[in-house]
Amino acid sequence: MKDFKHIWAVGLTATLLLIVVPIVAFVRWDPQPVDDPWASLPDHPQHTDHSSLFQGPFSSGPEVTEACLECHAQAAHEVAMTAHWTWLGDPVLIPGEEQPIAIGKANLLNNFCIGIQSNWPGCTTCHAGYGWEDASFDFSNETNVDCLICHADPSTYAKGEAGLPAEGVDLLAAAQSVRAPTRENCGTCHFSGGGGNAVKHGDLDGSLSYPEEHVDVHMGRLGFQCTDCHQTEQHRILGRSISVSVDTANQIYCTDCHLAELHDDQRITDHVDTVACQTCHIPAGAVREPTKIHWDWSTAGNDWPEDPHEYLRIKGSFVYAENIMPEYYWFNGQADRYLLGDPINPDEVTLINEPLGGILDPSAQIWPFKVHRAIQMYDAIYNYLLQPQTVGEGGFWTEFDWDQALRLGSEATGLLYSGSYDWTETAMYWPLSHMVVPAEHALQCQDCHGENGRMDWEALGYYGDPMLWGGRQGASATGDGGGQ
Amino acid sequence: MRLRLPLHGFLATGVLLLAAGLSTGLLQAAAGGPQQASEDDAGPPLHPDFALLDEEGASVLESGGPVFTLATCGQCHDTTFIQNHSYHVDLGRGQIVPAGEVDGGRPWDISPGAFGRWSPLTYRYLSPPGDERVDLTTAEWLMEMGARHVGGGPGLLARDGAPLEELRPDSSNIEAAIIDPATGQAAPWDWRESGTVEMNCFLCHIAEPDNAARTQALQQGNFRWASTATLAGTEIVALVGEEWRWSRQAFNEAGNADAEALGIRDPQASNCGLCHGLVHVESETPLVTETCAPESWTTLTTGQIFSPERIADSGLNLADKDNLMRSWDIHAERVLSCTECHYSLNNPIYYQEPSGDRPDHLVFDPRRIDLGEYLYRPLHQFAKGQSAQGLLAPELDNTLRGCESCHTMEGTHEWLPYRDLHAEVLACETCHVPALYAPARQYVDWTVLESDASPVTGCRGVAASSIDTGQPLITGYQPVLLPRQDASGPSELAPYNLITAWYWVYGDPPRPVPLRDLQAAWLVDGEYPAEVLAAFDADGDGALSHDELVIDTPAKEEMIAGRLQARGLESPRIAGEVQPYGIHHDVTGEEWAVRDCQTCHTQDSRVTEAFALSDRTPGGVTPALVDDSGTALDGQVVSDGEGGLLYQPATMEGAARTYVLGHDNVAWIDTLGAIAFLGVFAGAAVHGGVRTFTARRGVRSRPEVRKVYMYSVYERLWHWLQTVAILLLVFTGVVIHKPETFGVLSFRYIVQIHNVLAAVLVINAALAAFYHLASGEIRQYLPRPYGFFDAAFLQAKYYLRGIFRGDPHPFEKRPEQKMNPLQQITYLAILNVLLPLQVITGLLMWGAQEWPEAAARLGGLAFLSPLHTLISWLFASFIVLHVYLTTTGPTALSSIRGMVMGWDEVEAYPENVEEGGEPQ
Repeated sequence: MKDFKHIWAVGLTATLLLIVVPIVAFVRWDPQPVDDPWASLPDHPQHTDHSSLFQGPFSSGPEVTEACLECHAQAAHEVAMTAHWTWLGDPVLIPGEEQPIAIGKANLLNNFCIGIQSNWPGCTTCHAGYGWEDASFDFSNETNVDCLICHADPSTYAKGEAGLPAEGVDLLAAAQSVRAPTRENCGTCHFSGGGGNAVKHGDLDGSLSYPEEHVDVHMGRLGFQCTDCHQTEQHRILGRSISVSVDTANQIYCTDCHLAELHDDQRITDHVDTVACQTCHIPAGAVREPTKIHWDWSTAGNDWPEDPHEYLRIKGSFVYAENIMPEYYWFNGQADRYLLGDPINPDEVTLINEPLGGILDPSAQIWPFKVHRAIQMYDAIYNYLLQPQTVGEGGFWTEFDWDQALRLGSEATGLLYSGSYDWTETAMYWPLSHMVVPAEHALQCQDCHGENGRMDWEALGYYGDPMLWGGRQGASATGDGGGQ
Repeated sequence: MRLRLPLHGFLATGVLLLAAGLSTGLLQAAAGGPQQASEDDAGPPLHPDFALLDEEGASVLESGGPVFTLATCGQCHDTTFIQNHSYHVDLGRGQIVPAGEVDGGRPWDISPGAFGRWSPLTYRYLSPPGDERVDLTTAEWLMEMGARHVGGGPGLLARDGAPLEELRPDSSNIEAAIIDPATGQAAPWDWRESGTVEMNCFLCHIAEPDNAARTQALQQGNFRWASTATLAGTEIVALVGEEWRWSRQAFNEAGNADAEALGIRDPQASNCGLCHGLVHVESETPLVTETCAPESWTTLTTGQIFSPERIADSGLNLADKDNLMRSWDIHAERVLSCTECHYSLNNPIYYQEPSGDRPDHLVFDPRRIDLGEYLYRPLHQFAKGQSAQGLLAPELDNTLRGCESCHTMEGTHEWLPYRDLHAEVLACETCHVPALYAPARQYVDWTVLESDASPVTGCRGVAASSIDTGQPLITGYQPVLLPRQDASGPSELAPYNLITAWYWVYGDPPRPVPLRDLQAAWLVDGEYPAEVLAAFDADGDGALSHDELVIDTPAKEEMIAGRLQARGLESPRIAGEVQPYGIHHDVTGEEWAVRDCQTCHTQDSRVTEAFALSDRTPGGVTPALVDDSGTALDGQVVSDGEGGLLYQPATMEGAARTYVLGHDNVAWIDTLGAIAFLGVFAGAAVHGGVRTFTARRGVRSRPEVRKVYMYSVYERLWHWLQTVAILLLVFTGVVIHKPETFGVLSFRYIVQIHNVLAAVLVINAALAAFYHLASGEIRQYLPRPYGFFDAAFLQAKYYLRGIFRGDPHPFEKRPEQKMNPLQQITYLAILNVLLPLQVITGLLMWGAQEWPEAAARLGGLAFLSPLHTLISWLFASFIVLHVYLTTTGPTALSSIRGMVMGWDEVEAYPENVEEGGEPQ
């Protein structure tokens, strides 16, 4: 040791270790946050300017698609495999059915415009394809895939009846503008579900094209595009809603990016098994644009004064509301679904897509819903909901003759119409998942608990306010406790 | 969906429930906005319907008379017991003493409670019997102050306990008279005609009491009908013309009032808020308030607001509001109500017996009254803390469960170094009420009157430039920290507002000038008389602005005093007082609480930040602290240089004397230390300069040197570890001492690192001591007494002369005798005096949290910290000297090299050349 030349280095190391190790070991360091939601976001690849890649001229939509396919050979085929094209999902087992059934917009009823069968040209304005005007549409012809509706700058492109390019659209300009889909592309159809801005969802409307940050923290504050959450692989876009999709196969979860237990406050963390993130973080629906909450078809056809938000002769009476307090129900992600021909009890409210789950279902959480209630027609003899033809020749919107409209609808669906119809009440559930407000605007304790709380605890299956009466562990549910 | 009604009954139930909910849901939604769930969620009310009885015990429906709560509620509850055992009812009536005998009160206070204790905020004075000039008689007190009195007590009983209704109208008896404000003359008051004010159960126990109607009835002297008026907001009674009429159809068939419609319930925050302050529990409407709203007492005095609402969502014009995403009060946010802390003291849910009354082996005593007994006789004494106005019901002080009754610091304050020490010297509120976001009264100046006969007031927490804009910008304010005598003994710093007041007193014994006399002195027919205008109206515009309306010269004071004298008031003079108001609400949680150490631990920190008292000093009178508050103004009231006053707190003074690291220091210690440090530095510099100079000039033979293996590996490790530890300790110590100089460094981490380094140093020293003892090397440090002074003198002479001439060192440095006598004596002093002192003072400062008594016995932080600082200065000085002296070897760096590598170059002494190491 006496003559070891590098003893100084050994000594220096030892000294520093003897200083540093105790400091690191004994100082109480703040825990480092482990939450990194940004890591889950997709890359945004460099955009290729397509303006020089298309020469045109294009006289029809399919010609544009063919041009696209020259480089993106698989693209149309990929789209053709998705529900955006087929308007049908993968077969799922629906409660009460024996076999899995493929359901989707193509074959379901709702309580807005009722259903697309016989009404194709009107409904398929929003189909990601060209020319679906009747039952004979050829789904195997992939050149009818409409690339532009998702990829063109919406200021250059619009669709008309049967999904054909609207008159006057410069297809070359539209093709040259293509890029990854923006909020406005998705919004072209999804903000206008139900036939107009904000009508259907309660959490999707035109304000989301450029939202303020307190309307939607992801898009407003952080600049998200739809596809940042609705991540897409081979044109299969993640996301679903129980209006047409009753299992959770395609579900997007907040916890895909966020930790489930990210709240510092243990009181809040204790809620996450019972309360969906959305319940607190989406305090209200339709915060910017009024959404439709009630539709009475039975008054249609009258010669009443018209107002698009109150009464239209072709559609009947409406109630719109904005800044609505959601309704809260247990929801495990799955839903029952009313299928064409299912019997109803006309004296009761028919639930089109009842959310499943109850207080005793550990996978269920309390979720916020916009509920759309309607009065629509059913067959007074056979006791099932009917599908009228409204669009086109002979349809109700031109003839104002329900009997004829129902006969024509019956021909399209193949569901027998006895010739006698009546009106019944239905309800449709729209879980709220968009318009997530910044954490600092989320609900607070007293919004749900205490004297002025917004929850109907007993309808949810509790004895009373769980703050005082205990949580769901102690609840002996009455019925299924779901409030439904 | 398949219809499964017959098989699945539960689904049917659900469908029915939904159908039931549907209609209401639809109605709610159709109304267009979020709606609140109805209040009947909690199921049927427990309280049965009940007959409303009048004083005679007859149904009011039959008699048409006023409801008498003692009879009505007394059908089931022991209202006599309740009324006789409630401070809210009595308000000090039973404690009335002759003026000036209230312990800690003003010379004219006649009771410790609101009935008899004067406040400059309300100004009116309940006169004692025998006063020549009467301000308030009992009846007038009920009219003026009754809005904040629940009834009973002084509303029913004379000061000697006799029922008021038995008093004959008598203008000479202040309990049976009323003063004509115009003449000041007493007139008889007939209690039988007015009736008396019994305890008003409805005020606190119905959902929507009409406090305005009640107050109006009281102000009109219509005492008998005050309880009835409280029901004005319900359907059952209405004012028709001047008469209250019962509405038969609002009663059920049996003639009983519908308890559910009345909303009979235990008191909610909104009930308490009627008298106590601004309460806002509806989450959907934004909270608004007037600037310094006088009707909300606690909000006026402190700015506290009890509401779950986020401050940003309020309707206040509040600076930086958008970022205030915290709630007004975390307890309100977490759905607590007033009565959950301020519970009835025999409420079996909350009741806890004093631990002293309980045998040690019991944690919980299950023997308590059952709910039935409680409902029959609920004690209406409510748990309270220790308010600033310590005179209020002191027998109930600290009956409420304090913060620590529900909360623990364990697991929540782990990040906080010296957690227990902080808990000992700081109230929880100090960090958890960092600021108030509503305006609060700053001062009230009754020496002058505005033209509407109100005093000049100042509001705290409002931007001065915006006061006159009609839309004042609220900035909120940071409360002042004052020592509060805690229930557990020691004083802790707690947040307060200070309200300063000036007013005229007259006579001997002194009394506040009655309002009517003050008004007469200032205003004639609602206008300032010419004499007043001439003295005060500086700009001659005929009106007196806020700045003009102040008594700031002896001439003005004399003029007003003269006008008061002219009304027969003897020797009127200005008095001033400061009343602290404690702050316990507006609590916030973790995220918004004070977490930044430098809030306090920095030189200009808020612990001694000056707190503005006023923008004026009427009559030049420095206000005195009202001596009733359980706190102390240990600092000074000083002028702000512009006519106003500041309170300058002091942490190193008074009962709560404390030493806040990084904030406090003792100037002479730092001066002395700096002189020592710089002196040594300068001395070394001069010495080194002269050495260099002489070395260059003088022809000097390079001494012959040889290499000796001087320091073992362990000795070197010990030395260098000590070096690094001490240097870092000095550095971190400096950061702790002057944190503002090193703003980027986390005070909290630096403190902890300092402590770890100290532990490293001590362990290193202990191991080295063991090594030196065990190996006998310790001898090297012990100077030999024999001839020590000669040797030391020799060595000193060398440093002072020989070293400049290139003389050899007088003592050879050898492995077994490394040190010269001066080194020996220096190290002996450092290792036996400085180091132990530093370790002990440091250990006690660290241990102030673990063994506070030990630290306190040795003078506490206020003594230990400056001593620790002084010793560090001496250590720093020694380091300078030590490093300099290492350069006095054969070459400047040879000694340091020797301490690194072990091989030292020493001057060769001829007799050793062969036996030591290798000569060079």
